[in-house]
Amino acid sequence: MSREKAAAPRRSIDWSDVHRRLEQVRHAVENDGTPDAQETARILAARAQALATPKLAESDGETIDVIEFLLSGERYGMGFAYVREVFPLLDLTRLPCTPPFVLGIVNVRGEIVSVVDLRKFFDLPENGLGDLNKVIVLHSTAMTFGILADSVAGVRTVPRSELQPSLPTLTGLRERYLLGVTGDPMVILDAAKLLADPRLVIDESVAP
Amino acid sequence: MEKNDDAFRKRLLATFRNEAAEHVQALSSGLIALEKTAAPEERQGIVETVFRETHSLKGAARAVGKGEIETLCQSMESFFSLLKQGKASLSAGQFDLLNEAVDVLSALLGSVEDAPTKAQLAAVRELRQRLSGNGSRNTEAPAPVVRNDIPPDSQAPPSASPPEDTAGVATGPTMGKALPDPPPLRGGDTVRVPVARLDAILFQSESLLAAKLTAHQRVMDIRAAQSGVIALARQRARIAPEARALLRRLERGEQRGEAGNRRKGDTRLRRLLEYLQQEDDFIKTHAMRLETLAKAAEHDWRSLGSTADGLLDDVKMALMLPISSIAEVLPKFVRDGSRSQGKDVDFRIRGAETEIDRRILEDLRDPLIHLVRNSLDHGIEKPETRLAAGKPRRGLIELSASQIEGGRIEIVIADDGAGIPLDKVRDVAHRLQLAPPSGNGDAGSTALDDAACLELIFQSGVSTSPIVTDLSGRGLGLTIVREKVERLGGSVSVGASPAGGTRFRLVLPLTLATFRGVHVRCGEREFIFPSAHLTQVARVARQAIATVENRETIPLNGQALSLARLAQVLGIPADKAQARTESVQLVVAGTAENRIAFQVDEVLGEQEVLVKGLGRQLRRVRNIAGATVLGNGRVVPILHVPDLLKSARHAAPSPEPTTDADAARKSLLVAEDSITSRLLLKGILEAAGYNVKTAVDGLDAYTQLRTEPFDLLVSDVDMPRMNGFDLTAKVRADKALADLPVVLVTALSSRADLERGAEAGANAYIVKGSFDQSNLLTAIRRLL
Repeated sequence: MSREKAAAPRRSIDWSDVHRRLEQVRHAVENDGTPDAQETARILAARAQALATPKLAESDGETIDVIEFLLSGERYGMGFAYVREVFPLLDLTRLPCTPPFVLGIVNVRGEIVSVVDLRKFFDLPENGLGDLNKVIVLHSTAMTFGILADSVAGVRTVPRSELQPSLPTLTGLRERYLLGVTGDPMVILDAAKLLADPRLVIDESVAP
Repeated sequence: MEKNDDAFRKRLLATFRNEAAEHVQALSSGLIALEKTAAPEERQGIVETVFRETHSLKGAARAVGKGEIETLCQSMESFFSLLKQGKASLSAGQFDLLNEAVDVLSALLGSVEDAPTKAQLAAVRELRQRLSGNGSRNTEAPAPVVRNDIPPDSQAPPSASPPEDTAGVATGPTMGKALPDPPPLRGGDTVRVPVARLDAILFQSESLLAAKLTAHQRVMDIRAAQSGVIALARQRARIAPEARALLRRLERGEQRGEAGNRRKGDTRLRRLLEYLQQEDDFIKTHAMRLETLAKAAEHDWRSLGSTADGLLDDVKMALMLPISSIAEVLPKFVRDGSRSQGKDVDFRIRGAETEIDRRILEDLRDPLIHLVRNSLDHGIEKPETRLAAGKPRRGLIELSASQIEGGRIEIVIADDGAGIPLDKVRDVAHRLQLAPPSGNGDAGSTALDDAACLELIFQSGVSTSPIVTDLSGRGLGLTIVREKVERLGGSVSVGASPAGGTRFRLVLPLTLATFRGVHVRCGEREFIFPSAHLTQVARVARQAIATVENRETIPLNGQALSLARLAQVLGIPADKAQARTESVQLVVAGTAENRIAFQVDEVLGEQEVLVKGLGRQLRRVRNIAGATVLGNGRVVPILHVPDLLKSARHAAPSPEPTTDADAARKSLLVAEDSITSRLLLKGILEAAGYNVKTAVDGLDAYTQLRTEPFDLLVSDVDMPRMNGFDLTAKVRADKALADLPVVLVTALSSRADLERGAEAGANAYIVKGSFDQSNLLTAIRRLL
């Protein structure tokens, strides 16, 4: 391909074009590769235009951004607005005298963050041996904790209109936190509800 | 503009409120002191002080346009000025009047942002009338006001008066002398700094401590690397003579000009030997560089450490406040309380200058008020009862603070009242089913002894007061006192005071946030015991453990102490190998009468730790007070000793775990990079009765296999540094390990992967997606 292109001008050399291009290159080199003001304005305007276009123009309704992750072979999503950060679980300190769903605590840049195993909290059967080596830190104004995931697929935008209320296979505690299910299917959980749930909060002392 | 004015006025009022509160406090303390003092000279001094405070308050009120405060102060000032001139005297009624005036001032200050209510204004008017009624010649009031305006001037002369004015210099000191105690300079060598700013500085300084710990860890890491190089150098030194000899022989051979077909091999050997010699030099150079590096790191650590410690100490000192700053509200509190109950009580503070961390002090305010209230309400009897009992009419409550050993503060609140009626406590305890009835004295049920009985008063719901007053009686206060004090890392105990009353003793750390902790290991977990809660760390012979009344005890310093296993109290697996050792490691926690020896597997050392909360989800975890981050970044939980003591008493007594089958256990190595899977596999295999060690990747596993005998290897496939296939291949290629059974556990389930595993030499292949612990265990059993 490239050879063909290179060969083309050799047949009849358009010197004025060569000079024009040389001039362009000289200009670019002299400006250290930075486009001139006019060019910058044009690029920025184009970019702004592209960014301003709604991603899901075809569905006018509300959308939610979710972080998509895998847990025990199932796909889950959770409101991205509640995600503070995601990091690989490298070290974990287990805590005695806590319920099984509290896996332990980790050090996040000097701050102690507790890590929750949602499979245990939702009472899901633990089939298979997952990787469970990603921590998704959820936060709200009053609560912060991490949840474990096998892997994190990324962030995607889901139109609310595409959400189905539930699936017959979703039972128990999980259903309580359900925001909806997409067609793929991905189970979207209500992060706000989870963060506000007092059942996840440990507040116990030894009876005298 | 209007908004700005409004904001300015608000700021002004806030400043005024702070300043005025100090004046009112001083005024209140002065009045209490005045009431107690009989000596005329001392009284004169106190009158002078309260007079000055009233005057300053008046001036401040005028500046912000709080007319009602100004006029009330004016009347009080007039009264004090008469007192000063000896033209008025003080009766009990007048003290009440003055105290009432102070109360009204406090109330006015409490709502300083709003205009005074009609009721407040009426109260001010009424008080003013009563105050002027007490002094017969009220009109003379302005005179002392003028006099008292002198102090600011007397501070001015150095700059204001021209130097040649010798007369002015002469009069200055005399005017100063006219006032017995010149008021302390405001804004001289002291600066007001907002608490929030100080706290920010403290937080930053505390972070330096983490840097110090990390620096220490670096030193240790370099030293460890250095010892590796030294060991290598030593091994090299052993073969060095042989290499040299070999080289010499070669050289001699060459000199003799021996020819032959080994010539080529000799050259290669020669090159190798020469290289070895070079390498020797290289190792020596690097050993030296490491030594220099270690020394430099050590120096850095020390200098950083001393700077950080010094800074932190200084910042903490800046945050220290004397006990008096909270205790000074107490005299008035006692006075008012005793009046309303028809009691006559004297309140004394000793060691009010003892300093303590402001943050502790703040949390201490309520407990102290509660304990004093307790003495007042339950302790001190009515005057007639006291006289009948042959005691002085006037009761005494005393608060004394002092610094004790180990950088701690002791605060004792004692009264000479009736003491705690133990029989009543017993009855209440019985009614609440907290203890057997006091009459039941058969040998088995240890009816509550006095000490245990006293302890009960800290329990929720235990109150001996038949009526609930607005002061006390609900039986909750002492529980809250204990909870608060323990949260501060302190302890509270109760006993009888020498005078026959009750004596509460609070022991608190001087400062918060950092403390020393004893780092222990228990099974595979590590914990920190706060040193402040420990009395001893000891190692005793296992045979010394005796069982008394179904509980294990251990003799220590001639006393039998209850023994508890930390692992059991916390409900975690203990180190099984430890059960075979001849001695046990103990950490003795708790205070004198309430000590328990906790058995741990190992004491790793004592170090400075920085306490962190467990995060917002874990508000309060049983037996755990917080966590700390060690220099190497590892997180270690800090134990909550008061909880542990309770837990240990609850824990069912059980004998040492049996260890008979232990020797025959097979040991397995689990190589898995995911920490959760590693823990899960380890859990499953340990539950099945195997000894399990873990490795974080293939290389780690291979190193462990080379140094320690294992019966079987369970390995993940997808791991960093060395994957499961490569590990298996390496094991098979190693003569010593060739026969080791290998089980691969993997997420890869394709036929090709299976074949690759078999090719590498794995004995079994388990797919993670369909993982089931019985599959794994069956496979392992078949291979062992």
